Amino acid sequence: MSTKITDIPSTLQQSDLNQLKPEKSDIGLTRPDHSKNVFIDWLTTVDHKKIGLMYGTLALFFLLVGGVEALVIRTQLAVPENNLVSAQMYNQLFTMHGTTMIFLAIMPLNAAFFNFLVPLQIGARDVAFPRINAFSLWSFVAGALVINFGWLLQALEAFGLFSASGPTAGMNDFVPAMGWFGYAPLTSKEFTGAGTDFWIMGLQILGVASISASFNFIVTIINMRAPGLKMMRLPVFTWMTLIVSLLIIFAFPAITIALAQLMFDRVFGTNFFSVAGGGQPILWQHLFWIFGHPEVYILVLPAMGIVSEVLPTFSKKPLFGYSIVVFSGAVIGFLGFAVWSHHMFTTGLGKIATAAFSLLTMAIAVPTGVKIFNWVGTLWGGRVRFQAPMIFALGFVWMFMMGGFSGIMHSSAPADAQQQDSYFVIAHFHYVAIGGILLAIISGIYYWLPKMIGKMWQGNLNLWVAVMTVVGLNITFFPMHFLGLLGMPRRYHTYLSGFGWETYNMVCTIGSYILGLGVALLVVDIILCFRSKKPAGNDPWDARTLEWATSSPPKVYNFAKTPIVNARDALWADKYGPESRKLGAMDEAHGIHMPSQSWMPLIASLGFIPLGLGLSLMQAGVPYAGYAAIFGLVTITFGISLWAIEGPGGYHLHPKEAVEEA
Amino acid sequence: MTYLLKRFRNLSCLVSAALTLLFLSGCNLNTRMSTFTVKGPVAETQLDLFMLTVWVTGFIFLSVGGFYAYVVIRFRETKDSTDALPAQGHGNPLIEIGLIGASVLLLVIIAVPTMKGIWYTHDVPDNEASLMGSWYDNEASSVSISEESASEPFIIRAIGYRWWWEFEYPQLGISTANEMVIPAGRPIHIELRSVDVIHSFWLPRIAGKVDLIPGRSNSMWIQAGDSIEAWENKSAFTGTDLEKEQAYKTYLEEEIHDYYYGMCAEYCGASHARMGFRAHVVKDSEFYQWIDKQLAGHQAPGEMDWETWYEAYDNSPETLTGDINEGLKLFMGRAKCATCHVVQGNPRAVGVAGPNLTNLADRHSIAAGWLNHQTPEKTVDTEKQYENFVKWIAKTDEVKPGNLMWKAKGAGIGELDPLLNEEEIRQLSHYLQSLK
Amino acid sequence: MSQEASHDDGHHNLMVNNKKLIMWLFLGSDCMFFGTLISTHLIYRKLYPNEFEPTQLFSLELTSFSTFILLMSSFLMALSVSAMHKGQMKSFRRNVVGVIFFGLIFLGCQVYEFTHFAHEGLLVSTGTFGSTFYLMTGTHGVHVAIGIFWLISMLFYSQSGKMEAHKNAIDVEVAGLYWHFVDIVWIVIFTVVYLIEFIA
Repeated sequence: MSTKITDIPSTLQQSDLNQLKPEKSDIGLTRPDHSKNVFIDWLTTVDHKKIGLMYGTLALFFLLVGGVEALVIRTQLAVPENNLVSAQMYNQLFTMHGTTMIFLAIMPLNAAFFNFLVPLQIGARDVAFPRINAFSLWSFVAGALVINFGWLLQALEAFGLFSASGPTAGMNDFVPAMGWFGYAPLTSKEFTGAGTDFWIMGLQILGVASISASFNFIVTIINMRAPGLKMMRLPVFTWMTLIVSLLIIFAFPAITIALAQLMFDRVFGTNFFSVAGGGQPILWQHLFWIFGHPEVYILVLPAMGIVSEVLPTFSKKPLFGYSIVVFSGAVIGFLGFAVWSHHMFTTGLGKIATAAFSLLTMAIAVPTGVKIFNWVGTLWGGRVRFQAPMIFALGFVWMFMMGGFSGIMHSSAPADAQQQDSYFVIAHFHYVAIGGILLAIISGIYYWLPKMIGKMWQGNLNLWVAVMTVVGLNITFFPMHFLGLLGMPRRYHTYLSGFGWETYNMVCTIGSYILGLGVALLVVDIILCFRSKKPAGNDPWDARTLEWATSSPPKVYNFAKTPIVNARDALWADKYGPESRKLGAMDEAHGIHMPSQSWMPLIASLGFIPLGLGLSLMQAGVPYAGYAAIFGLVTITFGISLWAIEGPGGYHLHPKEAVEEA
Repeated sequence: MTYLLKRFRNLSCLVSAALTLLFLSGCNLNTRMSTFTVKGPVAETQLDLFMLTVWVTGFIFLSVGGFYAYVVIRFRETKDSTDALPAQGHGNPLIEIGLIGASVLLLVIIAVPTMKGIWYTHDVPDNEASLMGSWYDNEASSVSISEESASEPFIIRAIGYRWWWEFEYPQLGISTANEMVIPAGRPIHIELRSVDVIHSFWLPRIAGKVDLIPGRSNSMWIQAGDSIEAWENKSAFTGTDLEKEQAYKTYLEEEIHDYYYGMCAEYCGASHARMGFRAHVVKDSEFYQWIDKQLAGHQAPGEMDWETWYEAYDNSPETLTGDINEGLKLFMGRAKCATCHVVQGNPRAVGVAGPNLTNLADRHSIAAGWLNHQTPEKTVDTEKQYENFVKWIAKTDEVKPGNLMWKAKGAGIGELDPLLNEEEIRQLSHYLQSLK
Repeated sequence: MSQEASHDDGHHNLMVNNKKLIMWLFLGSDCMFFGTLISTHLIYRKLYPNEFEPTQLFSLELTSFSTFILLMSSFLMALSVSAMHKGQMKSFRRNVVGVIFFGLIFLGCQVYEFTHFAHEGLLVSTGTFGSTFYLMTGTHGVHVAIGIFWLISMLFYSQSGKMEAHKNAIDVEVAGLYWHFVDIVWIVIFTVVYLIEFIA
């Protein structure tokens, strides 16, 4: 069979697109298809690739925001009894740093990869529900705005343009300052102000975005695979996406309900966490960590997926123990639900519970270790090429291992009694978050950006990024292990001299600047890549999976002909495997059916902004805020109703190569 | 490629150089809150477990990490590499199973002592020596304990407030704030409670932390220094009983009697960083003296009894003169201190919203450890103490942002109109300095 | 009445329609929502067994009646799905009207129950029982209300004549899945929140 999807000769010309007239939707409005207006095109897009790019751009922006917050934190701590920022401001900074990095940077960065890659990796034209996908993106934007709204108020107040008096008299603490896991009862009305409400509503909206996106990906992966792409032939990254999506839909409800209970406590005076009314603050911790621990794996499994793609490509070997890597990913996801209380070893769980969670936590080290063994096994006997993605992936394995070791140290509950809530924990999870997740994400960016934009990296800046991030990471966070063991608790806005913490803190601060510079260089390198003149070609890395079989950037329809897969590592088998394993192509004479673009997901999502802000401000006693909330709810209902009535629409494309070959 | 590899090598050199430098420069592990230089059986168990995990993970780090580095270097692409594809191996189940088995084995090495540790550190050991009656001498102080108290462990109730600590000794009927006094070598059951948000009691050199959670009572146990039996086992002391007792005393004297630093470890709001406490570990005789002094409290200035003083205060306050009397008048009057603070002895200073101020001037710090006036010889630097009082009263909102003493819905000193002037602050500080 | 359709070329690896699969996933996730709410209620109930005596307030007759009504609505829902599959639009509409009517009766009972309880002194701020009870049953009520809104929209859409069996049967089936799930959740709540109180 000579019809290869690997070498698509020509593409649909712009003139062909123009011949397609946008049709009317079922409600009589013109669908925003084929718009020449860039804004309309992107705002109404349902193309998973554009949505992925938007996720990525926004997430990188928030990564920088969170990074700047971190640098202010480190600067404040550089010397003892520093007064750079006030205690309140510091508390706001670390709260928002954690919230931003987890919910607004890493999760959407992962979502960016899911969106862009999963349909390509499974040989699909798009996700199962393209409009829900757009809805997830815009809901994420709405949630991010609501969470960060307090900064705007605080800035306005600082410039004297807003004051918490008159109708807004009940408002104080505009920015959340109770830590990213918001332990009750610090989140009650008695102790914190409007910031907590923005935080609650923002997280709820982000939860909607994450859960709806996850439904979409599960359906896509289960139902939309190309013919012949059996589950055990799926690329590992897609496997990890599937597991993460399942984790999200089962873990997020716990925090959604916890947040709803908290909101009811604050707005309607219920007693879920209020001690005076019989509530148990410890309940919050259980509910939060039942979500929160799977969340850790929600963050890290995609990183493992990325590395499991990069290592085989750059050592020219298949992944060692594919099925075991996949299986251990699933085991990690499953056990992730059974270890939440190891975040609570110091809360007085009792001996039996402590022992059980201690053992389960140790158990989860096994599948994680298995992954590391398999990565090393993948390199064994291969031809290791030190290209940019590989450098970061190799760094990931090393640094993630470091984070894993301190994780094992935590699993011993009595030892954890000394480490809990100290800088030791900060060191641990930053090795996982930066050394693990961020390095893997950077590796993924270096690996897939040429595919996404069709341009190839130039120059050696990537080496500087690698040196700066890895060195910066180690200088910042390795001393923190000692800082914690020498008794420095976390979340201290300042400290006295004389405890032996001064040198370590200074070194950490210097390291954080190096790390910050590394991330800044990454952004510069990405910009340079966008301006690069060098075309990437379909398969610049001699890669293995299906996404490299199509053009870079992929056409709107991904594949001119739906591929027929006959092997794991489909493209590799096509390039080097026996004839029987090569890719085939479906005969699709009727053309490619494309989904129509739509305004409705955007409208429905934007309704979340007045809803979230309205409910928050209502709690703070701002008059008429309730009407804003009702307006938001009406907008959402309106958007979803029209969305349902307008019908999916769609149009057919006939790419030339597909027509020619038919 | 070689260029890249060289860079990569440079990178690892740089990292290791930086880390070495760090070790050489700042690696003093004997600090105030170090979890390495532990002084009690609980912290020691925790340290032992930690070191065990360090050895086990260190072993994995060297073996897996070393192998990893070897593989990366050995199989790197070089100029000589052929273009032929490497063997496309998919894995080896035997290796996988072997490695899983090895990981499980290594974890068991940690798991078994961990289980023991959980049981040991959870509560006061269940034996005769743990009971208060086994060591408390009813004759030594003015408090003799009840039968019931004698048959249970010595209890201290630590209560967390934003942002200070109350330490109650329920069996002895006394209470203090921020600096607890405990006898060396005695097991103590700590009851942990909170009145507002979650705090965490962390005294690193004696025991790891346990949280204080509002609405429920947690507990932990601490002991500063080994019991005589444990010490004997460890030091392998041989000699007569008398010599042994003497040597044990010396051990406590030289290694254990000290001030130990603790801090709140669970984020509790604006001034979380300023919620320290101290444990003053003393020998039994000093402990009994402290109980007596705490119980007796203070007389009115000039050795007056309180009835006479209050008669003067109520009828002709101008007859009470001198800085201390003026300070006390402010304390009871305009500054409203007595609304929130207890001073043992003073019948009208019975407020409970703030720290107990009995023998305040004996303490080595104020403001929950933030304003320190301890000399290197572990005595009170009175000049510094005076400065600290002045600073605290004048700028309590700066020292501890958000605290209740500054703004307390009409009862705070930040809400006084006019605020206390310099003279008044001076007088009040002098009065506070007399509380010893 | 299509909520979302993809460029669905009829090719599904699992032989399950995308819409049906996403509804199943939603229901799986929803189980966790209700699981959290119900367990919060049970935890506090066990923690404070004497805080509140619900048997004096609960009317088993009324709640049994509304449970029965909801069960019947599920039956009608099944009939309307079957009618839609057969393309019997009239029968479909008749049954959906029945489902909506019964759903509204159920909601009416709940509104009556809530006002009655509030009148008797059980408020959301009454200890933990009021908090957990109202949030849990309220969330269920909201689910019922959303279902009713959905079915009403579907009814109107079917009036427009655009609804066709071959195209929209799956939509009705998905709505049916949702409705049955909400019904099952109510049976769980009825058992562990109401009935159990009378057994003990």
